[in-house]
Amino acid sequence: MIELSHVSKQFGDDTAVEDITLRVAKGKFCALVGTSGCGKSTTLRMINRLIEHSSGDIILDGQAIEQYDPVKLRRRIGYVIQSTGLFPHWNVARNIGLVPRLLKWPATEITARVEELMGVLGLPVGEFAHKYPHQLSGGQAQRVGVARALAADPDILLMDEPFGALDPITREKLQDELAKLQARLHKTIVFVTHDMDEALKLADHLVVMRDGRIVQQGTPLALLQRPADPFVESLLGGLERGLKQAALTRVKDHMTSLGPTLPAQSRIPADFSLRQALSMMLRDHCDRLTVVDQGDVPIGELSLRRIVKEAQLDKVSQRDA
Amino acid sequence: MSLIDALPSPSFKRRPWHPNVVLLCLSGAMLAAAWLLSFVSVAPNRIVSGTAFGMVDAISWPGAALVSLLFIAMAALSSVPTSRHYRAMLGIIILILLLMPFGLMVAGHWLVDPSLPQARLGIGAAYWTVLFVLLLCLVELRLRLGLSRWWPTLLLAGVGIAWWGCAALWLDRLALVQEFQAREGQFYQAVGQHIALVGTAVGVSVVLGMLLAMLMRRYQRLQKIAFTLLNFLQTIPSLALFGLLLAPLAWLAANVPPLAALGVSGIGNAPALIALIAYSLLPMVRNTYIALEEVSAETLQAAKAMGMRTGQRFWQVRFPLALPVLLEGVRITAVQAIGLTAVAALIGAGGLGTFIFQGLGQAAMDMVLLGALPILILALIVDAGLGALADALRPGGQE
Repeated sequence: MIELSHVSKQFGDDTAVEDITLRVAKGKFCALVGTSGCGKSTTLRMINRLIEHSSGDIILDGQAIEQYDPVKLRRRIGYVIQSTGLFPHWNVARNIGLVPRLLKWPATEITARVEELMGVLGLPVGEFAHKYPHQLSGGQAQRVGVARALAADPDILLMDEPFGALDPITREKLQDELAKLQARLHKTIVFVTHDMDEALKLADHLVVMRDGRIVQQGTPLALLQRPADPFVESLLGGLERGLKQAALTRVKDHMTSLGPTLPAQSRIPADFSLRQALSMMLRDHCDRLTVVDQGDVPIGELSLRRIVKEAQLDKVSQRDA
Repeated sequence: MSLIDALPSPSFKRRPWHPNVVLLCLSGAMLAAAWLLSFVSVAPNRIVSGTAFGMVDAISWPGAALVSLLFIAMAALSSVPTSRHYRAMLGIIILILLLMPFGLMVAGHWLVDPSLPQARLGIGAAYWTVLFVLLLCLVELRLRLGLSRWWPTLLLAGVGIAWWGCAALWLDRLALVQEFQAREGQFYQAVGQHIALVGTAVGVSVVLGMLLAMLMRRYQRLQKIAFTLLNFLQTIPSLALFGLLLAPLAWLAANVPPLAALGVSGIGNAPALIALIAYSLLPMVRNTYIALEEVSAETLQAAKAMGMRTGQRFWQVRFPLALPVLLEGVRITAVQAIGLTAVAALIGAGGLGTFIFQGLGQAAMDMVLLGALPILILALIVDAGLGALADALRPGGQE
């Protein structure tokens, strides 16, 4: 678990980060979002003491980070950066095995771990182990970067715009893989990005920053439903907000049981999002969909009215809470 | 549109002509040099300046025709530059290089009067020009064919050995060979001294330079002072520096016996080494400093973030990444020192410079060559060797 309370950072007279209070529970994915220069990367780097904070407390697993040896602290925190920061003079296997080597694992264990991680990240050992970073594509290099961060199996992962330099298709693919990886590994992740869609897609907890301060934080859905101010709202996409919210909601959570009327022609799998359901209605010119399970067996139905109303209901319940 | 445009224009369509202008010009220059400059000179003895002879006199019409043919072939090949033609040109260059000593043999046979035991054959301007231009051609071909620096070095080494063989067996009429034979033992000793002086000076300045560069990284203020001082040292003419060291070192040797016992004196190795090291420090320190500073901040930041300690970051990341640039510094330093050491002969440090200054004193140009040629060859070998080493050490084999 990572806790920041009233953390500030001054560089000379400039205040980069001011009074940040933030809690990332174990196994949660926290995204720091904001425009460039808003202090999100600084916040991230204070956690592994690449930058020392000026005031406030940063507590890791119940202990203030000043009490850790910075080197040992960094070895138990995985770190991924945008331009990968791979060592150009080492091959892929050596890059991935760095932290285990620093921790003096036996050679056979390091080799086994490196090969395991390369498998997990879809880098065939025979093809990639002996390649050098300059021989890799951006996406491959970033996979190596993630593998290196995971090598010593740290509980905490800090990621600083890891997919920022990739083309949209590769970026989306790596986002999906990270989501899958996280569902399996349950690391505590702090993820810095300026891409709100990426944050909405991956995060359990969203923190919007501006000018070194936290403007708003909460679950993605909560932010979408009630942005604190016009800045957050514009960051969330203004009018697109409704659709983004729909994208975070599953069909199965809002379907009704099959009614007495004839089932609708169009069918949608239960784990699709409401956004996809809306799109299907627009495409097929209908206001009702049949919800099916993985075996294509109808299990419920979803109407346009229901989607619109559900959104309303969420809003009401939020306000009451 | 006018009527003129509508008329079929006479077609002068030709394939665009894209010759390799560099090689074409160089081939032409060699052809011109072979015909216009003196091919060899013949002197009855060591001191008298010789009579110059042209190509036709030296190797007769068939020889001149063969030489011209080879240069024209090179020009023809370079006007249609393909990788096959480049390779063919490489072959011709090697052939010319190998034929060169035979030209001298033939010329010696024709022109030198066998009844005069002191008579000798001098190498003419045409020979030197062609040799120099051939080296330029090799550089161009190496780049065009994308060969590593090892290739021309190996090639030239092979040619050099062939020449050495010819010189030892059949070219005893050549002035250079006669000069060599007159002082064979002295020659090898001078080569040894030269290499020892350069090796010591470069070795010491590599260690000192690294230490200084590291100190400069730690103490920024030192950086300005040190660079100013080293730049100043570099501006003193080498001869003046040797002279300036004479008095203080002679005084030290006279007044501090332990130093005298170590061999320190106003002339000889001590001032030579001190001056050589002083000159070597600037390129060494500058390259080392730049090499270490140039390493990407991002990579070093990543190394820190992974939990590498300061020493680990230096020795495992910063230093290996700086090594190729650092070796460039060693290369520049060594080549510079090989040249400078020639001057050290003036203050009695020995080395190949001895022949240069003795030759100048006796107006015997061939003796000057006996000193200058090995210095040139030494510099070329060191340059190519260290350059290739730096290339080989680039991260991941290349970049």
